[in-house]
Amino acid sequence: MPKKDQSDIEMLRGTLDMMILRTLVGGDAHGHTIAKIIERGSEDVLEVEQGSLYPALHRLEDRGWVSSYWGASENNRKAKFYRLTVAGKKQLLRERDRWRQMTRAIGLVMGEESLG
Amino acid sequence: MSWHRFFRRRQADAEVQNEIESYLEEEAAENLARGMTPEEARRRARIKLGNAQQVRERLWRQNSVVVVESAWRDLKCAMRTLTRTPGFTATAVLTLAVGIGATTAIFTLVYDVLLRPLPFDHPGQLVMMQEVVAEFKDIYPTLPMNANHFDMWQRNSKTIQAMTVMAEGSVPLGLGTHPLQVKMVSATPGFFAVFGVSPQLGRPFTAQEDVPGHDQVAVLMNDLWRTQFNSDPRILGKTIRLNGFEYTVIGVMPASFRLPYAGDEFHTGSDVGRPTQVLVPMAFSKDLLAEDMGDFNYYGVARLKPGVTLVQANAEINALEHRIQVALPADEKGTLSAALTPLQTELVGNNRKPLLILLVAVAGLLLVGCMNITNLLLSRAVGQRQQLAVAAALGAKRGDLIRMAMRETAMLAVAGGGLGLLLAMGLIPVMHRYMPQSLSYLGTPHVDWVGAGCALLLALAATLVAGLAPGWMARRMNPVEAMRGEARMSGSGRNSKKLRRALVGLEVAVSVTLVLMTGLLMASLIRLMNIDRGFDAEQVMTARIDLPAKAYDNHTAREGFYKRVLEALGRLPGVQSAGVVSELPLNGDAWGDSARVIGNTQPYMELPSEHFRWISPGYMETIRLPLTEGRYLSASDEGKNVALVSENTAKTLWPGKDAVGQQFTRGGTTEKPFTVIGVVKDARTVTLAKRDPMMVYMPYWFRADIGGALAVRTRMGGATMADEVRKAIWSVDADASVPEVRTLGGVVADSVANRQFEMDLLLLFAASALLLAGLGVYGVVTYSVVQRQQEIGLRLALGADKGSIYTLVLRDGLMPVALGSVAGVVAAFAMARVIGSLLFEVSPYDPVVSGMAIGVLMAVGVLACLLPARRAVAVDPMQALRTE
Repeated sequence: MPKKDQSDIEMLRGTLDMMILRTLVGGDAHGHTIAKIIERGSEDVLEVEQGSLYPALHRLEDRGWVSSYWGASENNRKAKFYRLTVAGKKQLLRERDRWRQMTRAIGLVMGEESLG
Repeated sequence: MSWHRFFRRRQADAEVQNEIESYLEEEAAENLARGMTPEEARRRARIKLGNAQQVRERLWRQNSVVVVESAWRDLKCAMRTLTRTPGFTATAVLTLAVGIGATTAIFTLVYDVLLRPLPFDHPGQLVMMQEVVAEFKDIYPTLPMNANHFDMWQRNSKTIQAMTVMAEGSVPLGLGTHPLQVKMVSATPGFFAVFGVSPQLGRPFTAQEDVPGHDQVAVLMNDLWRTQFNSDPRILGKTIRLNGFEYTVIGVMPASFRLPYAGDEFHTGSDVGRPTQVLVPMAFSKDLLAEDMGDFNYYGVARLKPGVTLVQANAEINALEHRIQVALPADEKGTLSAALTPLQTELVGNNRKPLLILLVAVAGLLLVGCMNITNLLLSRAVGQRQQLAVAAALGAKRGDLIRMAMRETAMLAVAGGGLGLLLAMGLIPVMHRYMPQSLSYLGTPHVDWVGAGCALLLALAATLVAGLAPGWMARRMNPVEAMRGEARMSGSGRNSKKLRRALVGLEVAVSVTLVLMTGLLMASLIRLMNIDRGFDAEQVMTARIDLPAKAYDNHTAREGFYKRVLEALGRLPGVQSAGVVSELPLNGDAWGDSARVIGNTQPYMELPSEHFRWISPGYMETIRLPLTEGRYLSASDEGKNVALVSENTAKTLWPGKDAVGQQFTRGGTTEKPFTVIGVVKDARTVTLAKRDPMMVYMPYWFRADIGGALAVRTRMGGATMADEVRKAIWSVDADASVPEVRTLGGVVADSVANRQFEMDLLLLFAASALLLAGLGVYGVVTYSVVQRQQEIGLRLALGADKGSIYTLVLRDGLMPVALGSVAGVVAAFAMARVIGSLLFEVSPYDPVVSGMAIGVLMAVGVLACLLPARRAVAVDPMQALRTE
């Protein structure tokens, strides 16, 4: 497992929940698929650590934002699938708004002009 | 995290494992599709996954309630270590339990008596009404109320919502032989408004029912209704017989209502505090109401209007009282004032100070207990250092170390506290049984949670402080050094040793104070019981008699009854002598009056007042009250106006003259005078604590009431005599009620029952404190002996004799005891003023008692030192030196 920059992980920790919820908008998925979607979607910039993924999934389930069930994966294996709940959808919208505000704000501070 | 998950963590863990497994398979399948070999595919997948165990652990923790989890572990650890040292654990838990139990019980009692509001609506508005007649102040500092004055106040007061006056009596209920004697209270109709209650069945008295002729109605107290009338719901309108008269039942009071009666403080007989059983209206006749200086006989209670202060009410009532005084005729001119005081204060009366002293004493006991626990734990802490050092060396954090040290003490505190509460619950009913009867209106007190909480908190604080010590020591400890061996550690324990000595000294000081106070009270009680009472209680049987009022409504009938009873008693073989008296010795006094020496023309109010009693011939001989001059009353005097007086009376009324043959009247100037035929010694028949005031004894053919008492001097005594006395009374009239037959010695003992109660409790506390202090000394000395084993061994090896070793150990152990004793005596002397008023002819600085208190403590200290000293001497020098 490649060693990653500490800041990447910190970044992920705040936004992982949100990204998981976002992934589930496209349909129910199990842990592996979720990780894959996030990794592919970020053009492999983000790497989802399993050590964070499962605790995050369980946390989301505790809060009622996702629900889970055991089903068969694409390869016909037994896997635990996660589904976005109504509350989860609302939460996603809230987090997305917050995220947009945040990135806009940071963008404003950092500015477009060259730093040279 | 959710509680749901917390309890099914194992299941959740299994699921996570499955989930991780499925992830691995997915990843491996993907890798396989990329063309890897199955082994390589799986290996890569594992690498990608990372530490699966870590994921599981993280989830496990996420699902745990950390506090509960670690508390449970701590509990298990604490249990294990505590059961390993059962002696220590038992001592600590029992000490805490006794301290907390006793403190809670006493606090509950004190709270109940002194602080808990009376169980009535707006209890703060209730006041007791009393009067003060300056001329009578020397014998009666305050007087119960006078009917005329009450009537005047009631008609004119604007600060008082309602007021009532009451009188109590014991009367036969029903007819037939040996009727049930019930306690009846007569009250003016204001009663119900004053106490803010109304009957649960029926109605209260109406304003018309306080007129003679309309007053034959009764309200039953709930208890009487339940026990005697079987809770008959149709009781209203039925007729009952009280004192021989017919009364119509008009109401039943609710069960929650208890009437506190602080009626007559001079009356200390056995039925004081007996709950009231029936209420009837108090009907004052026109004549009685017209007597502006008639009897001061009635217990008055009032309810102030909302917002009126005690000061305002007192001012108003005193103004009314002044109007009464101004209008008094010249020969009855007295200086009147009124005293309204909070009812609760009056009810508590003289019990306040003893209770507070008990509270202080029990707090002292708790303090000693806490110090003892601290001491025990400190010595244990030194032993635990090694263990803590190991833990620290293994990487335990400072917080963990403190928690390790605390968990046992916390457990001890909880166990001791719980046991203490149980003890208090058991103790309170017992205490209630022995409580002074005048306080029994309170009903059985229940454990007071405020008190229990306070005691528990104190004990917790003590144990926690003590528990922190080892952790605190470990804080500065270099693990490597601490582990290197016992030898190095003995030196570093010096601080804790000093602290432990100081604690023992403090324990001793508190114990000495307790022992000293107990000793003083005990000395007082012994002196009080052995004082020359002036009469002889040995082999005297007494019986109180209540005659039914209707059948004995005239003097001839009453006199005849007593006379025939005396004749019947005289025929009994075991009887030496017998007599009748209005009040037995030490049962208080109810009849105060003024004697006027013939020729004295002072206004009545200015005459000195005396205590009067009526007696029959034979009474003085029976109680052996010695004569100083003249002769006793004899049967041949019957019908003559003769009287006996006490020495005090003789000296005051006829100073420098021979009293025998002198004449006096009862205040009036025209009535037939009495001739003094004898002077009896001043005795202690009103209260043991004081020499009697002026006494006058009138013959029973002049006055005899429906309530009286017999005194019988017997040759054998004992229980058979009690039956004989009863039979003799009933042979004359089977309707007479005999509420109590007992020895005069028992009556004397009863009169000091309150003191006895306080002293017994104090004795218990003092003994417990002594025991604890002894344990404290023992602990400290034993510890120091163990620590100095090598030194002692060396001394022995070098030829020191055993005596010098004993001296060494004793000096070491007795130092804190001696210092503590001195400090304790100083503290007790500082409190002398508080306890002084409870003592009887014993100075609070009494050198003998103080010396004995120190002696007792020193003896306990020596005893506590000798055991370890013997162990020290028994040490084999070689053995001791080798343990290095």
